[in-house]
Amino acid sequence: MLEINNLKARIGTTEILRGVTLTVNAGEVHAIMGPNGSGKSTLAQVIAGHEDFVVTDGTITFDGRDLLELKPEERAREGIFLGFQYPVEIPGVNNAYLLKAAVNARRKHRGLSEIDAFEFLKLAKEKMAMLDMDPKFLNRGVNEGFSGGEKKRNEILQMAMLEPKLAILDETDSGLDIDALRAVAAGINGLRDPNRAIILVTHYQRLLDYVEPDQVHVLSEGRIARSGDKSLAVELETKGYDWVREAASA
Amino acid sequence: MNAPALAMDALAGAVAALPRDRLTPQRLAALEHLRAHGLPTTRLEDWKYTDLTPAIEISNRWLAAKREPVLAESVAAKIAEVRTNIDAHWLVIANGIIDGQALADAADDGFDVRLLSAGDAQLGFDAPLADFNTALLRDGLRITVLPGATPRKPIGLLLIDETVADAEVVQARIEIEIGANATASFVEYHLSSGSAGHFSNVVTNLALADHARADYVRLQRRSLDHTQTNRLFVAQARDSILNHCAFDLGGQMIRNDLHIDIAGPGASSVFNGLYLGGSGQHIDNHTRIDHRVGPATSRQEYRGVLTANARCIWNGKAIVHAGADGTDAEQANHNLLLSRGAEIDAKPELEIYADEVKCSHGTTVGQLDETALFYLRSRGIGHDDAVQILTRAFAASIVGKISVDTLNEIIGSMVEGRLGVLIEAGNK
Repeated sequence: MLEINNLKARIGTTEILRGVTLTVNAGEVHAIMGPNGSGKSTLAQVIAGHEDFVVTDGTITFDGRDLLELKPEERAREGIFLGFQYPVEIPGVNNAYLLKAAVNARRKHRGLSEIDAFEFLKLAKEKMAMLDMDPKFLNRGVNEGFSGGEKKRNEILQMAMLEPKLAILDETDSGLDIDALRAVAAGINGLRDPNRAIILVTHYQRLLDYVEPDQVHVLSEGRIARSGDKSLAVELETKGYDWVREAASA
Repeated sequence: MNAPALAMDALAGAVAALPRDRLTPQRLAALEHLRAHGLPTTRLEDWKYTDLTPAIEISNRWLAAKREPVLAESVAAKIAEVRTNIDAHWLVIANGIIDGQALADAADDGFDVRLLSAGDAQLGFDAPLADFNTALLRDGLRITVLPGATPRKPIGLLLIDETVADAEVVQARIEIEIGANATASFVEYHLSSGSAGHFSNVVTNLALADHARADYVRLQRRSLDHTQTNRLFVAQARDSILNHCAFDLGGQMIRNDLHIDIAGPGASSVFNGLYLGGSGQHIDNHTRIDHRVGPATSRQEYRGVLTANARCIWNGKAIVHAGADGTDAEQANHNLLLSRGAEIDAKPELEIYADEVKCSHGTTVGQLDETALFYLRSRGIGHDDAVQILTRAFAASIVGKISVDTLNEIIGSMVEGRLGVLIEAGNK
């Protein structure tokens, strides 16, 4: 589904990704781990099309399409979803309005009619119940005054409504208490599907206790230093990231 | 280059040609006062950014033509439309002519309306533009809200102009008194249909007696070749409340002066505004609040969205006079610049001569938040739509401050409509 080959990217004059190669197939859950500054978030944002990053080399294809040619909104309509590490507060833009606009943008792209208002509300309330979210959040400004946990749940709600082909969740577990972590994990597990791929970008193993990955990759200094199965995450937790760095430079 | 001067002899001729009535002595006195002081020029600090030359040129052309005011027929349809869309007791001044029928129809709803010429109103000499207004005034409105009354519907002041010839000058004057313990809402609506060379000069005085309350919305949607100066002076007595919300959605050269004078303790003054500037537009909002006594509070927030080569000015002055202890004044001005060619001059001015006061101000000028833009785009919303959504949200916070419930929705959609046009034009 997603093929990344020798991807290099920089912001300003700083090179952050220095040749990432990664293949993610439909139905798989991949975890990308790594120390701060290793390029995890950059990789997530480059896949989503953030224009602050300049891709200097390499390719990304998604279902055979050259992703780098597409604008962020086109990537989203093709079925890519990025769950933000720091979801943006947008006062004055109603949460329900954004959800509906996003759902309809994707539907329109697929040649479907706009979602019926009643159907939309029913679906949104259903997903919110699963995430243990108060339906009142629908009528608030996007992430406006939300706590850290509420913002992350809101990201998962958007994901659940949009039903993407590829979901990239950037540090979705950071700053969550155990209840919020469980709710978010349940939301992610509920979306596991043979036709969908999920990339979890995370610093800690914690989330992986709840969402079991098929593959774990460790990013270090802009490259994938190691890949393995879920046991790699456990090994990292005990040995720390220095171990990967040393192993990579050895 | 010297700015052109107002043709005073022609003006004197025009004043003399007006019908003789009870206002005549005041017109003549205002003329002499104006002759002595002249209209403001950009050499004055308060007029640094707004050059009245276009207004003076239109006035001189109009004075030379010696035309009687005429009412264009197309105005009637527009007035009818306004009446249908906004439920209010509408009083209409069209091309400076007061609609007598509308006056007669003003319902018995706790207020009284008369022509200025029918009473003994003292129009005063406090500013050259007010003198210009008095000198050429055919007639004005005097509205009195009875003590303790609460009119059910807003009082609508429709100022509608249509130029039927090369140049037209219109003076409108409204004097409002709200009696003790009375509560009234107002919508002052400025409309016109397009044609070059129109200058209107509007002067309104609003006096709030003890415990009186006014919810006042000014909605300016003049055509894009309209020149206008507009002044509202508000005098607030003890425990009175003012909620003013202003919208500038049109006009070519617009200058608004809002001057609030707090003379009674316990008064509260909230005044907010939104200006949307596009190609060729110049919108200047000057506000001034005098806290003469305390305790009293004032809250001000103006926001602007500027596109193309729009030029806007916000100047907010707050003066806390000696002894006005317990004053609590806040002012804020936020601007969104959507193009490189747009320009905003934002100037907060605080002058504090009292000891126990709480005053704050904040001004921001910026572009749309790129992170928010990316966030929306990453949800499949196109770039241009995302710009629209974020800009509307920025403006909506002022729309949300309208304290006349029945106006919220209609003004909200006018704002969205205008923003849509401005942003689309900017994308071309």
